[in-house]
Amino acid sequence: MKFSDRIQKVDRRIIYVILLIAVVLPLVFRLGFKTYTTTPVENLYRHIDAIAGKDDMAILMDFTHDPGVLPELYPMDLAILRHCFERNIKVFTISFLPQGAAIIQMALSEVKEDYPNIEANVDYCNFGFKPWSTKLPIMLGMGDDIAEAVETNSEGLKLENLPIMQNMKNYDNIQVVVEISGSSMGQFWVIYARAKFGVDVAVGLTAVMAADVYPYLQSGQFVGSLGGLKGAAEYEQLVDIFAMNGLEFSKKKARDMEWVEAQYEELPELAQLYKYNKARIGMDAQAIVHVLIIFFIILGNIGYFLDRRAQKKSM
Amino acid sequence: MTETIGIWIAAFLTLCMFSFLYKDNPFYKFAEHLFVGVSMGYYIPYTYYNAFIPYAYNPLFLKKEYILIIPFIIGFLYWFRFSSKFSWVSRYPIAFGMGMVGMGVPMSMHATVLVQMRSMMLPLDNINIILIFVGTISILLYFFFSKAHEGVYGKFTSVGIWFMMVGFGASFGYTVMARISLLIGRIQFLLGDWLGLIK
Amino acid sequence: MKRQIPLMIVLILGLLFVAHVFIPSKISTDYLEWFMKWTKVIGPFAIVLGVFSLVYVHYNKIKRKAPNWGYSIVTLTALVVTTAVGFIWGIQEGTPYMWIFKNFNVPLGATMFSLLAFYIASAAYKAFRARSVEATVLLVAAIIVMLGRVSIGQAITHWIPDITEWILNVPNLAAKRGIALGVGLGMTATSLKIMLGIERSYLGGKD
Repeated sequence: MKFSDRIQKVDRRIIYVILLIAVVLPLVFRLGFKTYTTTPVENLYRHIDAIAGKDDMAILMDFTHDPGVLPELYPMDLAILRHCFERNIKVFTISFLPQGAAIIQMALSEVKEDYPNIEANVDYCNFGFKPWSTKLPIMLGMGDDIAEAVETNSEGLKLENLPIMQNMKNYDNIQVVVEISGSSMGQFWVIYARAKFGVDVAVGLTAVMAADVYPYLQSGQFVGSLGGLKGAAEYEQLVDIFAMNGLEFSKKKARDMEWVEAQYEELPELAQLYKYNKARIGMDAQAIVHVLIIFFIILGNIGYFLDRRAQKKSM
Repeated sequence: MTETIGIWIAAFLTLCMFSFLYKDNPFYKFAEHLFVGVSMGYYIPYTYYNAFIPYAYNPLFLKKEYILIIPFIIGFLYWFRFSSKFSWVSRYPIAFGMGMVGMGVPMSMHATVLVQMRSMMLPLDNINIILIFVGTISILLYFFFSKAHEGVYGKFTSVGIWFMMVGFGASFGYTVMARISLLIGRIQFLLGDWLGLIK
Repeated sequence: MKRQIPLMIVLILGLLFVAHVFIPSKISTDYLEWFMKWTKVIGPFAIVLGVFSLVYVHYNKIKRKAPNWGYSIVTLTALVVTTAVGFIWGIQEGTPYMWIFKNFNVPLGATMFSLLAFYIASAAYKAFRARSVEATVLLVAAIIVMLGRVSIGQAITHWIPDITEWILNVPNLAAKRGIALGVGLGMTATSLKIMLGIERSYLGGKD
């Protein structure tokens, strides 16, 4: 068999095994690559951080995702929640998918166990699941009165009686709506809530859609975005080097890799927990696999061109 | 104990799913069907506790807002969808919900068209803004089929193809990234949570 | 009665919503409040459609002893057990309902989609060919983005992440905006067609 034929006819299972090895090895033997941060992620971090310590401002996290995209989006969920709990930022959570509501509970309980002082309905409030058909009514209703539009939290308690709601009325008290989404790209929030009430919107997306948000970032309709595992890794890093070290955000510092490396030396034990580093550890494997995929593309094309040349010669 | 059992079950189901890579087999089929059932099982209790009780039951039966009996009945009409004779009745609740498209017309025009156009009409004072402007216009013209794509016009519209190829390339690069991330997540589970090789 | 009245409902409610957007007044605010309240009551009933469809399909498979009917028992059992567990022990964190979610739903859902990683690796090798100049441009852009989004790109040269950022912020932005404008106009046109009763397939049925 010719070389070009051999390249073209490799069994797919061999490719699968090579891919698996490329994923497993960097995860077991950690490479510890540091990620660099990008503007959309920094903008979201800064925007959320701006309300640290304020009782009358909160962020609203909309978990529009299910377990299918959890490896990409769950580290974002944890990183944003950790940022808020660390910096005393009020959080509302909601989901219009039942699985999303279960993910909220998972994420909240996972982060809360490291922040025993954080109290439900005081520091955060989980609105829980609301059916998709009520998304627009709730989204529009919150422009006038959040408690009236949402009515109850995930435990069935009336919102208007909860301590966290005493200083919250409507979107004027929402710094940013962050839709962490497996599919819908925050469009509903932009079309209705932003256009009608001017609330800021940001998105955390699977990487599949990450390139599609750039027009909305430039127009200011999204104040920031996290794209896939890379976006999650960046946010994890910003939380570590700023929030966990009690520092204010600085773009210049975030981009200075030597300063970033130095901050990693100072991190408290909490920041070193595996669950809060999952995206960054995953990015080690991601780097190796990207190189492998590029190698596959090049090798496949070499086979293709050799084959084409041989066919031309024989004609 | 329950946590350990849970992790072993999760690992078993993960491997059942992965077995499809070799070929379709009963383990994969079992896992696939289990997934459909469990996923749907999440809709009923969540909808009951978080939507039906606070939005329908409480206002009508506890607060005695009897006017809500009308939407309550309209909601019930959905169920006629399964009757071959009266399925048309289920169109009423669908139509009620659809009424909201009236808001969608001006709002989506504003957010997805007008604001995007406005963001394009910036002073052409640097090369990137000029490129974005030319790129967007050429793509829009590329999809305008009422004029033949020939001559200078045709050449200009073909510029749009190049922009689109770069855009699709970026999306493709990101798509590869997304798929790999999902695999990394599952391997992290198997190696970390299950086998304890990553800490 | 069967089709015309639902279409009239859509048209009237739709026109009132258009008016609501353009004419802010007490009446239009009250209209929105009324609509929201009623929609929230109607919404939960729709869930039955999905559940019933699933049960109907699998029940029929079992009844007819269709090929692989045994797996339909798995689906229905899982549906009944998950639902029952939710009603018996509740749906809060720490309940068996959440245990099922973490140990059944999460691994099944996440692994199903992770299979795509293998297919995309195989496709990278066997299908992504630079057959034309345009395809080559696509592949080159993809390779730059793939390298630029991971630390290896940064380690090779800082130009790779910089070029990636430029690709995303300039040509990609232009491309996605061109497409987004088309999609936006399409969405508006479709909404208008629904409101005016030109597009009516969502109602289902023939008569």
